[in-house]
Amino acid sequence: MNSSISFSQFDNTSKIRVKKVEAFLNSVELELSPDIEVFVSAKEKSKMIACGGLSGNVLKCIAVSPEKRGEGFVLSVMTELLNAANDRGRKELFIYSTPKNIAFFEECGFQLIEECDSKIILMENSKNLKKYKNNLSRLKKDGNVIGSIVMNANPFTLGHRYLVEEAAKKSDHLHIFVVREDASDFSFKDRINLIQKGLADIENITIHEGSDYIISKATFPTYFIKDKCSINELHAKLDLSIFRNQIAPSLNITHRFVGTEPYCTVTNNYNQNMKKVLGESNPKSNNIEVIEIERKEYKDKAISASSVRALLKDKKYDELSNIVPPTTFDFLVKRI
Amino acid sequence: MNILKKSAYAGTLESSDAYIHVSPIQENEIKLILESSVEEIYGEAIEELVVQTLKEMKINNILVKVQDKGALDFVIKARLQAAILRACESNEPVWEELS
Repeated sequence: MNSSISFSQFDNTSKIRVKKVEAFLNSVELELSPDIEVFVSAKEKSKMIACGGLSGNVLKCIAVSPEKRGEGFVLSVMTELLNAANDRGRKELFIYSTPKNIAFFEECGFQLIEECDSKIILMENSKNLKKYKNNLSRLKKDGNVIGSIVMNANPFTLGHRYLVEEAAKKSDHLHIFVVREDASDFSFKDRINLIQKGLADIENITIHEGSDYIISKATFPTYFIKDKCSINELHAKLDLSIFRNQIAPSLNITHRFVGTEPYCTVTNNYNQNMKKVLGESNPKSNNIEVIEIERKEYKDKAISASSVRALLKDKKYDELSNIVPPTTFDFLVKRI
Repeated sequence: MNILKKSAYAGTLESSDAYIHVSPIQENEIKLILESSVEEIYGEAIEELVVQTLKEMKINNILVKVQDKGALDFVIKARLQAAILRACESNEPVWEELS
């Protein structure tokens, strides 16, 4: 039955083929995700009938044309996609899709992580979330106010330090998660190292390595697109829902602290979404109070990691020491 | 003892087949993750089959993931053997081990 169907694999440099995939996706009311590296497509009599994409360790944009549905053909597509991922040594995979496909992907060995707004789902095939939650719950601390901060700290500034100081004052214990994805100017190792050094004197905090479940390319792909102001609202909500329903309960987190965002309206929207997704009560999990802390300023301008990177770029090294702690300054100077 | 050098896979997700992924692990043990559409009835039988096949091939440290779609015994065994041979990068299989 499938004898005249041919599969092919190509990467995102084949512009013409990518265009064809995009047209096909649009014809089934899906959009092409810009971060896909590897595509798989199936053709019958030179007409595209199915496709799928791989971005890092995330499978997405999986589609089958309507006339080919209901005969198990999508299983062949999934086989090809899994092969493409396995050939690249990517074993622990995620899938982005819509809720109606949950049962199908479960048959392919994936488990649901989170569903958001009845629009998108994230699934994984590694069962790592459970392990991760178990590991976290061993680090649980008692208290009425258990705070949390998620930071990228690219690199760690006096602004981050201020946010942590204020949050730690308001909390019995404060959990800090460091975004683990190596998609920033400074590597994860350097970023977490500077955070640890810069906060060594604060007692009631735990610094956690991030994971695939906190602001990662899986949970929040658009976060890492350079122009931050293209954050996809649905992605943001998905990431926040995972935080609320999966991560926070393992540590009994009651509060999340975030710096105010005076510059970028989209990041500011993200903070507003945070209040909504974490703060509103719903039966699934306890709500988390979001507290915005006014950003620390230097010379009437909010301190930000991006201004540090700008100063580095312009080689204005002497100005750096005003907005980063000595530990970060030493590191930056050595790096020049 | 045969040593896995890398991860490898064999099979498909289609009905009556199985998709099997194997990878080397540090610990000296056999880890099996089995998901099957017929798990309730044949789950234990499949586990036994996997363990037996690994024993025959003298494999002691391995993570095996089986996504079974109701494959018959010999299909599962053949897929597992194929995945392991690929993972061992063995060009000259020991045929006696592949009964």
